[in-house]
Amino acid sequence: MENLLDGWGITLATFSPLVGVAVMMLIPKEREDQHKLIALVTSLWVAFVGVLLLIWFDLDHTDKLQYVVDKVWIDVISSRYAVGIDGMSLPLILLTMLVVPLCIVYSWNHFPDPVNPKAFLILILILETGMIGTFVAQDLVLFFVFFEVVLLPMFFMIAVWGGDDRRYASLKFFLYTLFGSALMLVSFLALFFLTGADTFTFSGLADAVAAGGVSRNAQLWIFGGMFLGFGIKVPMFPFHTWLPDAHTQAPTVGSVILAAVLLKLGTYGFVRIAIPILPEAAVSWAPWIGLLAVVGIIYGALGCLAQTDMKRLIAFSSVAHMGFVMLGIATLTDFGINAAIMGMVAHGLITGMLFFLAGSVKERYHTLEISRLGGLLVQAPRMGWIFGFCAMASLGLPGLAGFWGEFPAILSAYNPGNGVPVETFRTFMVIAALGTVLAAGYLLWLLQRAAFGTPPEEFADDPHITDTTKHEWISWAPLLALIVAIGIYPNLVFRVTDGAVDASLTPCLSVEGEAAEKLDCAEVYKIGHDDGHGDGHDDDGHGDEHDDEHDDEHAASGN
Amino acid sequence: MLGQYLPVVVLLILAFLFAALSFVASRLLAPRRPHDRKAAPYECGIIPGRETPERFPVRFFLVAMIFIVFDIEIVFLYPWAVAHGGLGLFGLVAVLLFSLAVFESFVYLIGNGALEWGPVRRVRHAVSPARTSTSTIRRAGVREVGLEGRTIGDESGRAA
Amino acid sequence: MLAVATPEVLWWALLPVLFLSVGGLLLLTVASLVRRLPDWLPQAWTVVTGLAVLVACVPMWCEVRDEGPRTTLAGSVAVDGSTVLVTAVLAAVVVAVALLARPYLRREDLPGVEVYVLLMLSAAGGVVMASADDLIVLFLGLEILSIAVYVLAALHLRRIESQEGAMKYFVLGAFASAFLLYGMALVYGATGSTRLALVAEHLSATVLVDDSMLLAGIALLLVGLAFKVAAVPFHAWTPDVYQGSPTPVVAWMAAGVKAAGFAAMVRVLVTSLGTHASDWAPPVGVLAVASVLVGAVVAVLQTDVRRMLAYSSVAHAGFLLLGVQAADADGTAAVYAYLVVYALLATGSFAVLTVMGGDGDAAHHLDDYRGLARRRPVLAGAFTLLLLGQAGVPFTGGFVAKLGVLAAAVADRGYWVAGLAMLGAAAAAFVYLRILVSMYLEDPDAEAADGSTGPAVPLGARVVIGVACAGVLFVGLVPGPLLDLARDAVPVLVGS
Repeated sequence: MENLLDGWGITLATFSPLVGVAVMMLIPKEREDQHKLIALVTSLWVAFVGVLLLIWFDLDHTDKLQYVVDKVWIDVISSRYAVGIDGMSLPLILLTMLVVPLCIVYSWNHFPDPVNPKAFLILILILETGMIGTFVAQDLVLFFVFFEVVLLPMFFMIAVWGGDDRRYASLKFFLYTLFGSALMLVSFLALFFLTGADTFTFSGLADAVAAGGVSRNAQLWIFGGMFLGFGIKVPMFPFHTWLPDAHTQAPTVGSVILAAVLLKLGTYGFVRIAIPILPEAAVSWAPWIGLLAVVGIIYGALGCLAQTDMKRLIAFSSVAHMGFVMLGIATLTDFGINAAIMGMVAHGLITGMLFFLAGSVKERYHTLEISRLGGLLVQAPRMGWIFGFCAMASLGLPGLAGFWGEFPAILSAYNPGNGVPVETFRTFMVIAALGTVLAAGYLLWLLQRAAFGTPPEEFADDPHITDTTKHEWISWAPLLALIVAIGIYPNLVFRVTDGAVDASLTPCLSVEGEAAEKLDCAEVYKIGHDDGHGDGHDDDGHGDEHDDEHDDEHAASGN
Repeated sequence: MLGQYLPVVVLLILAFLFAALSFVASRLLAPRRPHDRKAAPYECGIIPGRETPERFPVRFFLVAMIFIVFDIEIVFLYPWAVAHGGLGLFGLVAVLLFSLAVFESFVYLIGNGALEWGPVRRVRHAVSPARTSTSTIRRAGVREVGLEGRTIGDESGRAA
Repeated sequence: MLAVATPEVLWWALLPVLFLSVGGLLLLTVASLVRRLPDWLPQAWTVVTGLAVLVACVPMWCEVRDEGPRTTLAGSVAVDGSTVLVTAVLAAVVVAVALLARPYLRREDLPGVEVYVLLMLSAAGGVVMASADDLIVLFLGLEILSIAVYVLAALHLRRIESQEGAMKYFVLGAFASAFLLYGMALVYGATGSTRLALVAEHLSATVLVDDSMLLAGIALLLVGLAFKVAAVPFHAWTPDVYQGSPTPVVAWMAAGVKAAGFAAMVRVLVTSLGTHASDWAPPVGVLAVASVLVGAVVAVLQTDVRRMLAYSSVAHAGFLLLGVQAADADGTAAVYAYLVVYALLATGSFAVLTVMGGDGDAAHHLDDYRGLARRRPVLAGAFTLLLLGQAGVPFTGGFVAKLGVLAAAVADRGYWVAGLAMLGAAAAAFVYLRILVSMYLEDPDAEAADGSTGPAVPLGARVVIGVACAGVLFVGLVPGPLLDLARDAVPVLVGS
C-alpha cells in the first residue's frame, strides 16, 4: 500500500474545496467568470484526487480502512481526527466528487435568481467538504461535525436560490434535520460514556460495545436516537415530509446534490455507525426499520401517483427508493447491505439525473405542472429520450443501475440475517415487490404525460424550448454512462463494497469472540478478521446459500 | 421559649381589635350624607378643574439620601469606636478606607450640585440643551420619549 | 481590651478587586472635582484598569497553578483557578464594554462618567462574588454587582424602556436577594457556618437526622442564584431589561453578570453542597431543561432582536445549568469553558447590536436587519459567525461549549435532560437562523436602501467584534487550550 497519498490524501480531498472557497472569498463578486473557473478547477482537482485515491486503493482488501489518518484532535474529550476509506465509503465518496463538478458545469450559464455565482459556488464547495468529510470520518465527533457542516450551505441554497415557497421549505429542512441530529448527538455521547471507551472512533466503540459494556436496554435507546438522526436524513417514512418541500423549492443543483449525496448521509450512517457498533440493538430494531421501509416504498409510490408537480413526484419517488435501500439495510445481511449501497449509488446517479432534467424542463417551460407539459419528445427529442432513459433506470429496468439496487434488496429480504424474523421480512419482500410495480406505474405515467403526445398549445411555438445544450450534455453524459456501466457490470460497485460490508457485519454478529482482545491503535482499524471470513469473497459468489452459511456460523458462535 | 413574646402578641391583638372596633363603630353610628362639595379637595374655595399635581423638589430626595449615607457611616463607626483598642492599626486603616469610600459619594453629590439650593444651574447635559418647552410639551404623552432632542443627537452623532 | 485577631491578607490575590474598586472610585472623584473632563479619559482609564486586572491575572494563575489553591481573609475569599479565570473574563468584558460605551454615549448624548464607574464597581462585585468562599462575602459581592447593574440599566435617561427595565430588574432583583439571604440563613442554621469549606466539612462529617432546613436553604439559594443567571422560571425580567437597557450595558449583563453568577453557583452548589447533589441536582436539571426549552421557543416568537437574544441568553443559562447539574468536575469544567465562550459570543453579539441600534438605540426590530448583508457585508458576516456560534455550529466555539456541557450531562446519566436540551438547542438554532434570513435574504426597506450604507461602525466596536469573532473561531478550531484552562479552573475548597 505504498503510495503518494497515504496519510494525507483524504485530508487533501476533504479540505481542498475550502481552499477554493478561501480564494473565492478574496475576489470581488463582480468577477463571475473567475469564480466559476476557480470553483470548477477546485472541484475537478478534488475529483482528480479522488481518482488517484481510487487508483491506489487496494481493491483486494476493501474491508480494510485505507489512507488512514489518526491524530489527536480534541484531546480533552477524547475525540480524534480519524479518517479512512474502505469499500463502503469509496463509492459514495467518488459519487460526491463526480456530482459536484457536474453541478458546477450545469449551472455555468444559468444560475437561478438571485444570480450571485460567488456565493452559490462557495456554498457548493463547502457542501463538498462536508459531504466528503462525513464519508471519510471514523470518529463520531468528527462525523457529527461534518454531518452538521452540510446543513447550513444546503439551507442557504434552498432559502436564497429556491422557489416561491423557499423560506418554508428551507426552515422545514433545517429544523427536521437539526432535531434529528440533536438526538443523535446525545446518543453518541451516551454511547461513549456507557461503554467507558477512551475514544470516539467507530472501531474503538464497536469493540467496547462488543466487550459488553452496555446493557441491552441502553443499546436499544441509543440505537433509537441514532435511528431518528439518520432516519430523518434518509428520510424514512414518518419523517419524510421535509423532503418533497425541500426538493420542490430547491434550485436544480441543490436538488441534485440533495438527492445524489445528502440523503445517503443517513443511510451511510446506518451501515457505518449504527449497525456495526450496536449489532444487538440493530437486530431488535430491524423489523421496525423494515416495516417503515416498506411503508415508505408503498407510501412514496402512492404519493407519486397523486402528484401534479414533476419535481415533487421525483421527490416522492426518492422516498420510495430510499425505502428499498433501508429494506436492504434492515435485513442485516451481507447481501442486503451490499444491495443498499448499490441502491444508494444508483439512486444518486438516477435521481440526480432526473432532477437535472426537471430543472431543464422548468427552464424551458417555466412550469413543472405535469398537466401543462407534454410532447417533450417532439420539441426536444434528445432530452425526451434521456428523460425516458432515466425513467426506465429509475423504475429498475434490468440492465440499468437501478435494477441492481432494488432487486437484490428485495431478494435479500427473503432471507434476513441472524435473529431477524424471517416471516415478517418475507411479507415485507412481497410488499416491496408490489412497490416496484407501482414505481413502473408512476414513472411510465409521468413519461407518458410529460414526454409523449403533442406539445400543448401554449408552448407549441415557444422559441425558448430548445434541445439539450452543450453544458447539459457535459454534465449529464458521465451520469448516463455510469448508469449504463453499472447496470451492465454491477461488480463495479459490488466488488468494492462486498469485503467492507462483510467486515462490518462480522464483528456485529459474532459478538463475544475475539473482540474483547485488546488491540492497539493501528490494528483497531482492521475491523474485519482477514483470517476467518475474508476468503472466497473476492469473487462475487454471494447468494442465498452463502448467507445461510454465514448464519450458521453466527449461530455457532453462541449468539 | 416563645412564651416571652406573649405580651407582644396580646398587645398586637388588642391594637387590632381597637382599630377594627373604631371603624365599625363609626360606620354604624355616624350619619352618612355624602356631597360633591364635601368630597372635593379644598382649594381656597374654588372647585378644582382637574387633578392637582403634587410637586416638590427632587432635592429633598437627594438630601434624604445624603443623610442615609452618613447614617450608615455612623452605624459602622460606632462598633469600631467601641472595639478600636483591640482592632489596632488594622482596624484604623480599615475604617479609614471605609470612610473614604463613603465620603467619596458625598464628593460626587457635591460635584453634581446636590446641595445647591440657589438659582437652578443646569446640571451637565442630562437633558439635551436643544430640548425646549415647546418640544417637550408637544411630545408629552407620546410613547417614544427617547426621541426628544433627536436632532441635536443626530448632529453630534454624525460629527462623531 | 482584648486584642482581636486580624486576618492574614494575601494582597496579590486581592489585586483585581483593588484595581477595579479603586479605579472606579478614583475616576468618580476626579470627575466630581474637575468640571470638564475630556470624554476619552474615563474610557481610557477603564480600559487601562481592565487591562491591568488582566495582566495581574497572569501571575495569579501561575501562582495558583504552581502553589495550589488557597484562601485568604480568614478563609472568606478563595484564591484558585476559578477565581482567576472568572476575574479574567470579567476584566476582558469590562474592557470590551468600555470600548463600546464611548461612541454609544456620544451618539445617545448621555453623561459620560457614571457608566465607567459603575461598570468597574460592578466588576469588582463580580470578582468578589466569584471568589467568595463564604456565604456572606458571596452576598456582599452579589449586591455590589447587582446594585451597580440596576443603575446601569436605567442609564439611558430619555428612554422610558430603560427606566422601566431598570425598575423591574431592581424590584425583582431585591426580591431574589432576599431569597438568597434567607437561604444562606437556613444553610447556616443547618450547618453552623457560612464558610463554604466548613459547610462542606460539616455535611460530609455528619449525617443530618432532619435535613429539611438545609434543603429549604438550598432551595432558596437556588432561587436567588437562578434569578441572577436568568434561568426559567426566574427569567421574567430578562427580556424587558435587555430590551430597555443601554446596549453596551446589556453586553455586560449577558457576559459579566452571568459569569459571576455561575461561578458563585458552582462554588456553592457543586463544591460546597456537593454531598447533597442528589437533592439539588434534579431540580437544577429541571431548571436547565425548562430554561433551554422556554428560552428557545419563546425567542422564536419575538420580533425584536434584543428580546430574541435575551431569550437566547435564557437558553444559554439552561445549557450552563446542564453542566452544573452534572455536579462533578467534568461538568464544572464544561461550565467554565461555556462561560468563556459565551462571554465572547455575548459581548460580540451585543457589540453588533450596539452598532445597529442607531440614534435613540431603538432600531432593533428584525426588519432593521433586513438586507444588512448588502449594506454592511463585513458586519453581517461577523454577526453571522457570532450567531452560528450561539447556535453551536461546528467549527465555532459554541459547538465546543455545547458539546462539553452535553457530554457532562450524559456522563452523569442525564439522558432525558440532555435529549430535551438538545431539542431546545435545535429550536434555538431556528431563532438565529431567522436573523440570518433577515440579513441575507430580505431586501432592505426602501428607506434604508437608498444610498445608505448602514450604520457606522466605530473603531472600538470593530476591535470588540473582531476579537470576539477571532476568539470564537479559535476556540472552535483549536479547543484544546480552553478546555485545559477550564479544567484547571475547577474550584477547590481549602479547609481551615
